[in-house]
Amino acid sequence: MAASRGAVVLKTVKKIIVQFCPFESNVRSTREFLIMVGSEKARATNMNCEVITEVKHDRSQPMIDITFLDGERLVMKGSRITTQEMLSALQTRCSAKHPQAKAGDKK
Amino acid sequence: MAATLCGRLFPKSGWLPLSQSVRHGSKAVTRHRKPLHFLKQKLMAVTEYIPPTPAAPPAALAPRVRKTEEESALAVLLRKDLENLFKECKMIAVVQNNAINAEDLMVLKHKLKRHNISVKFFPNQVTRSFLSNSVYSNMLPLFVGQTVIFVSKEPKVKEMLQALKHSPQMVLLGACIENTLLSYQGILSYSRLPSMTTIQGEIVGGLTMMTSRTVSMLRHHPAHLSALLQQYVKQQGSGDSTNAVTDKETSIIQEAAA
Repeated sequence: MAASRGAVVLKTVKKIIVQFCPFESNVRSTREFLIMVGSEKARATNMNCEVITEVKHDRSQPMIDITFLDGERLVMKGSRITTQEMLSALQTRCSAKHPQAKAGDKK
Repeated sequence: MAATLCGRLFPKSGWLPLSQSVRHGSKAVTRHRKPLHFLKQKLMAVTEYIPPTPAAPPAALAPRVRKTEEESALAVLLRKDLENLFKECKMIAVVQNNAINAEDLMVLKHKLKRHNISVKFFPNQVTRSFLSNSVYSNMLPLFVGQTVIFVSKEPKVKEMLQALKHSPQMVLLGACIENTLLSYQGILSYSRLPSMTTIQGEIVGGLTMMTSRTVSMLRHHPAHLSALLQQYVKQQGSGDSTNAVTDKETSIIQEAAA
């Protein structure tokens, strides 16, 4: 179930808010995304990044709100997308933000 | 042989011609496939062999029956365990853990043990199969992903919430407290409920309030009268200093009025 590049790199992310209602049936991918993002490896990439979870019960659709360091926000409505799609969307945006920094780190 | 056409020689009827024309180059046995004569071709086409269509094998017709795998003995054991838990414990809370540390988990377990709350791990498949057969089928959607169950015999919600405050990775999803399914907000409001004695006191107070109100309304007029008389007596007493009417008489008036 790992993403294509292994761990999720959260260097450019400031805050991730995940809200869902666990009694709905379409929250599986959102919950799995939360697990992937809240894992040790992902958190180790950026200790300042906060992962906030909100559990609701109002039949609302699951939503993921990511705030980047430069103020950009990525809002994903998780009722109909898979975990892989969410992860890849996040990763493309992260790498787009800091391609030079990442290339320097890897080398 | 050279092809010689001598059709004009001896044209009288009945006579065989002296020489017959023979075309050379067409032998019966050739190395390549010789095209059939047209008549033979027609005959072969008509008398072609049509094989009978074979009936479908019985396996193809019968629907594929999925072999129902027998549950492993471990799953049966775990299921029994779950059944006992649900019967005994009043409070069952479902929590999602996003990769909690081992030491954090130990600390959390220690905190919860103090209040007799035990932390249990069960495989999702077993839990789901058990829940779908039991009364608690509405808890099914909760058990997706990595989940942990907190069980306890006493519904100690406040302590559990306090212990969970310190670990942000454990996300409370829902709980079944005293056979009622509660969401996160429900759990919070449950923790804010006052204890049974206070609620009982409130109810009793509310019920008796009505009766006491009627009593006070009935006694209102004579009480007012007696109070006025007492005041009058006091004024009289302080003015004349002759105690004509004493408190005894005011009490007699009260009894007469009631």
